[in-house]
Amino acid sequence: MRRLPALTVDRGIGGLVLVFAVVAPFLVPQFWTANLLTQTLILGIVAASLIFLSAYGGMVSLAQVSIYGIAGFVVGNLTTNGNTKGLNLGWNPWWGVVLGIVIATIVAILFGALSSRSTGIYFLMITLTFAVIANYFFGQVTDLSGFGGISGIPAPKQIGPVDAHPWRLYYVCFGVALVLYALMRYVVRTPFGISLQGVRDDPVRMSSLGYNVRLHRTIAFAFGGFVAACGGVLFVWWNQHIDPASIQLSAVIDVLVIAVIGGLFRLEAAWLGAFVFVVLNNYVQRLGFWSLSTRFGTVIGLVFLAIVILSPGGLMGIWERLLSLAGRRRSQTPTAQAPLESGTVEPSV
Amino acid sequence: MSEAVVTEHAEPILRLRGVGRRFGGLHAVRDVDLDVAHGERRAILGPNGAGKTTLFNVISGDFPATSGSIHFLGQDVTGVAARHRAKLGMGRTYQKTRLFHGLSVEDNLYLAVLGVKQGHLRPVVVPKQDEELRGRARELIASVHLGGRESTLVGNLSHGEQRQLEIGMARASDPKLMMLDEPASGLSRGERVALTDLLLGLDPSITLILIEHDMDVALRVAQRVTMMHDGRVIVEGTPDEIRANQTVHDLYLGRGHQADG
Ligand SMILES: Nc1ncnc2c1ncn2[C@@H]1O[C@H](COP(=O)(O)OP(=O)(O)OP(=O)(O)O)[C@@H](O)[C@H]1O
Ligand SMILES: [Mg+2]
Repeated sequence: MRRLPALTVDRGIGGLVLVFAVVAPFLVPQFWTANLLTQTLILGIVAASLIFLSAYGGMVSLAQVSIYGIAGFVVGNLTTNGNTKGLNLGWNPWWGVVLGIVIATIVAILFGALSSRSTGIYFLMITLTFAVIANYFFGQVTDLSGFGGISGIPAPKQIGPVDAHPWRLYYVCFGVALVLYALMRYVVRTPFGISLQGVRDDPVRMSSLGYNVRLHRTIAFAFGGFVAACGGVLFVWWNQHIDPASIQLSAVIDVLVIAVIGGLFRLEAAWLGAFVFVVLNNYVQRLGFWSLSTRFGTVIGLVFLAIVILSPGGLMGIWERLLSLAGRRRSQTPTAQAPLESGTVEPSV
Repeated sequence: MSEAVVTEHAEPILRLRGVGRRFGGLHAVRDVDLDVAHGERRAILGPNGAGKTTLFNVISGDFPATSGSIHFLGQDVTGVAARHRAKLGMGRTYQKTRLFHGLSVEDNLYLAVLGVKQGHLRPVVVPKQDEELRGRARELIASVHLGGRESTLVGNLSHGEQRQLEIGMARASDPKLMMLDEPASGLSRGERVALTDLLLGLDPSITLILIEHDMDVALRVAQRVTMMHDGRVIVEGTPDEIRANQTVHDLYLGRGHQADG
């Protein structure tokens, strides 16, 4: 009974956020839409792929940024034309979209297969290794990038040039984020998604019920890779540039921080975390006092620490606790003492 | 009693020969020969650490055997993965419940039903197909007396309810061989009676192997009893023979009664 109003409030807030996102370009300065909000949407997509794998598959992956980077580098190599690093193939940007996503997803299948035996800290370490390898790969293979990276990456002409029409890319990012969010929400209720949650909760039981746990993990990882790859394509359109620093360790940690600040157990948290991160990042750098501008790392570190200590579920966890507190207060008089659904007598073994 | 069943199928449904399982230097199961006939109800008894659960793990494929051979339905399954054994018709429960705590009761059974079917990776909802699976899941919920708890998260169930769900999970795949690892542990007296009734009411064509410390449950349900100690099978016989056996008394019954209070 108590969940109903909480759910309504949740949905209401979600609806308001969506409405705000739609009208934001008319309400806030262009700098906000073109930079902060677009970046929030893109980082949110990558973080959402991490949260998806963690919340529904029990896999905390540090490779999401690399996969996003691989999609970005593929787009860069295929679609730039002329004076930059990389292959400069000059293809139509839409081909870049297709191949960027396909290639990054194939790499994700490979990563997924290699890490599908591992769980917990070992999984974390293996995906960290992927992240490091990807970073060095694009630094050292100068045919594809090199440390300077690829510049002047164009968006398709229907969308770009981005500097002239920042709203268009903003709406594209918003649309893509919305579709991916809906897709992830949908997938978790399909046989594949429910089984994935079974694998998360007890892989041994899943095997003895007849499931191929490793295959399941691999496919889930590939799906997470696909989501991250979409983010990677948007990122290079927005940034018009990508280099190995875009996927270096600190970028990996940024996305992890975003996911944890938001809350690792809920998809919406990805964009909440990204928004807080991006806004802090931007405003701390503008603040003059205490030379905070050069100490963004310290500030975000402290924010991170505060949130993790306050709530392991991140900001989303704090929000949910507030909701359930409010809900409890409302329903206190009639059925206050029945919060536990199940019988409380638990014979111990 | 068991002879009558055996004559229907000359081959036993399960045949173990010289099966062993080591954990490093520890021989948890050693040199076990076991024949279980089609439709038989077999109890496995033995003191703590005798290797009963390990024997289950080796049969179900959770751990591979380190020696010996296992035949199921006439087929050598010694090197076959657990998930394939499930599809051949093995179902089991766990001594320490292994349920999906983040999912609802219905989703747990949905997964158990889907496990031996096609379509694990289907990324779309097909209402007709899924409704069929869910219908079966709800039947199972009723059969283990959890009606009304469909959408409760398993983590919020009481211990007794979780034990009931365990049995539902093993039944979901319509297994030919069902292995229950101490299904009565932690249950109240009333719940034990209900469990015994449930086991006695099982379709007689299902072969049942039961590990159980509770003698009342074990000896009422079982037609034959296998007694393990130190990883080996030491006695096998009918419940009456087991009751009369002096070794069993020395090793187990005294201790078992103490442990059960
Ligand atoms: N995964 C494992 N790794 C190492 N040793 C194990 C493992 N599983 C079981 N053992 C050991 O094997 C022996 C047999 O254990 P097992 O769980 O099979 O006994 P059991 O007969 O089921 O006992 P209980 O009545 O307590 O359930 C024990 O000494 C146990 O410590
Ligand atoms: Mg045991």
